[in-house]
Amino acid sequence: MAPKKDPKAPAKKAEPAPAPAPAAPEPAPAPAAPAVDLSAVKVEFSADQIEDYREAFGLFDRVGDSKVAYNQIADIMRALGQNPTNKEVNKLLGNPTADDMVTKRVDFEGFLPMLQTIINSPNKAGFEDYVEGLRVFDKEGNGTVMGAELRIVLSTLGEKMTEAEIDSLMAGQEDENGCVNYEGKPQITTS
Amino acid sequence: MDCHNEECSRPQEEEDIMDIPLDDPEANRAAAKIQAGFRGHMTRKKMKPEDKAEGEERQEDRGQ
Repeated sequence: MAPKKDPKAPAKKAEPAPAPAPAAPEPAPAPAAPAVDLSAVKVEFSADQIEDYREAFGLFDRVGDSKVAYNQIADIMRALGQNPTNKEVNKLLGNPTADDMVTKRVDFEGFLPMLQTIINSPNKAGFEDYVEGLRVFDKEGNGTVMGAELRIVLSTLGEKMTEAEIDSLMAGQEDENGCVNYEGKPQITTS
Repeated sequence: MDCHNEECSRPQEEEDIMDIPLDDPEANRAAAKIQAGFRGHMTRKKMKPEDKAEGEERQEDRGQ
């Protein structure tokens, strides 16, 4: 008896098209602030500027390895006239953990593109921006903010400041009514 | 409710406190810019009298 091959092969089901795999792995959610590609930053400082920066950088090197810790980077930039937010600095450092901030170090060559990025930042604020920023909290629109309210804003919004920082900042800024005048006279200066 | 007619000297801050726009991204952005400027200013102020190595000693813990 010749084995009959059933023309209709029962085993395989004729599927018109292979079903797409339902469990396609979802792409991992993008990190909050994508790290900056520092190797792509063109450093455009003059030799004089680089020497100044190197000197400032050296002042912050406590260990003597010609490097500084992550948690010093923001302050070096501030010392050099910049006003980076902590968020901007974290982005430059690749969103480090709290531990990284203390343990990881950067050398001067690594620092320069970070500084360049901050200097190139399109969001840099000038004096007018601070006035505008304070105006947001000027309830009466009269060029003053209540010192007490400003303290609360600085400690609860944005990149919260500590009481010590706020005290330093507000020293001598409030008038007898507890108001801070932010227009005209640049009392709250940033230079 | 003694003082209907005249302005009580009730501190304005109490109402203002409740108005703090904690979730408003615009207000938070404005605050962050102000804070960045202040921090920059304060760091530079601290560095001025001491040009030398003392600049390092007052490093506050910035583990944010």
